[in-house]
Amino acid sequence: MNAPCSSTAPAQLKTALVVASGTDIDELLTSVLGSDGWSTHHAVDNQHALELATTEPFDLIVTGRKMLGPDDVEILRRIRSARAHVRLIILTDRFTPGDVIAAMREGAFSYFSAPFDASELAEMVRVAMASPCWDDGIEVLSATPAWVRLAARCDISTADRLVQFLRGVRDPDIPEGIIFAFREVLLNAMEYGGNFDPSQHVEISFIRARRAVACRVKDPGHGFSLEELRHAAINRPADDLLGHVAVREAQGLRPGGFGLLLAKKLVDEIIYSEQGNEVLLVKYVDPPISQVA
Amino acid sequence: MSLQISIRQSDDVTILDLRGRSTIDGGESELLDSHLQKLIARGARKLLLNLADLTQVDSSGLGIIVGTCASLRRQGGDLRVLRPKGLVLEVFKVVRLLEAIPSFEDEAQALASFQSRGHAASSS
Repeated sequence: MNAPCSSTAPAQLKTALVVASGTDIDELLTSVLGSDGWSTHHAVDNQHALELATTEPFDLIVTGRKMLGPDDVEILRRIRSARAHVRLIILTDRFTPGDVIAAMREGAFSYFSAPFDASELAEMVRVAMASPCWDDGIEVLSATPAWVRLAARCDISTADRLVQFLRGVRDPDIPEGIIFAFREVLLNAMEYGGNFDPSQHVEISFIRARRAVACRVKDPGHGFSLEELRHAAINRPADDLLGHVAVREAQGLRPGGFGLLLAKKLVDEIIYSEQGNEVLLVKYVDPPISQVA
Repeated sequence: MSLQISIRQSDDVTILDLRGRSTIDGGESELLDSHLQKLIARGARKLLLNLADLTQVDSSGLGIIVGTCASLRRQGGDLRVLRPKGLVLEVFKVVRLLEAIPSFEDEAQALASFQSRGHAASSS
């Protein structure tokens, strides 16, 4: 993976291109971008956006929802070949999980498959506006429909992007609870294993088996043992949520362990490696009724 | 939406109306912590968090709510929550937060609970 790109470019007027997706979304995006002084241009469709992007150096492009997933990826590829560092957020109504992975591999900033929450889109646009270096944040190391391996830079905006890509897949066997657990474990890995140091990376695998979904996160740190966290929320009795606070304060620590506590409650199994810098989340999936004997 | 915090007073109870999310992402939880610590430093001991418009909370937000509640109780005060809903309520239920921190659906009832001895029963 490349070193992080420089973020020392002088402040200047930033420009965004928004492809028409419907009045509500268009107005929302124009409002979010304008609130931070960005200049917003509009395209009638993605083809129009491609034409404009080859002549104008936009910093951020939000595609229109009306395209097929593979066409979005093709537009992304062509725009990034002309403008390598443009932040491109894909909105789409029709897609496959393979399209989401292809978009990630081709360097999309984010991916929103309908139906999506407009406020989440607005937040991601704000993340994109505030992220001067991002295009080396997520690297697809390998990908099959059943097993995707990634490396992700240790910073919060990269975690946000990764979580949104996972949401974009819209796998009915990966409900919000699992995504929430993944996010907590990922942020723990980035914070405690990588010190939120953007030169460090975590390694992630998503595995989709017939009867389970699993996610492995390996951080660059030295690991830990749950015994070391005996004063954290995860190791306290369930009816004594506040009990750990005084113990941790006496040791100069803020209340903690809630991320692991949440993850533990939201998946079926949580397994650590001996060193403690790798964790595996497992959620079992009910087989389709047709497969039940 | 990032976190917006409005503060109002009802007798000796300080009410914080939270709108948006309390997550680590954009420093929202840090913002909440900063507001709570300033209020406590100025002498506030009874805090009511109105969560009706809070859309998300994660472990960072949970840690701040729990830590503030524990701190206030040590100082003879308390923290209570008003109208948690949606994803926020789900997270609270997962970690059994409502067994430790009283929750109310009605603001008047929540305010009255601070005047009664001990903890009022949770109305959630």
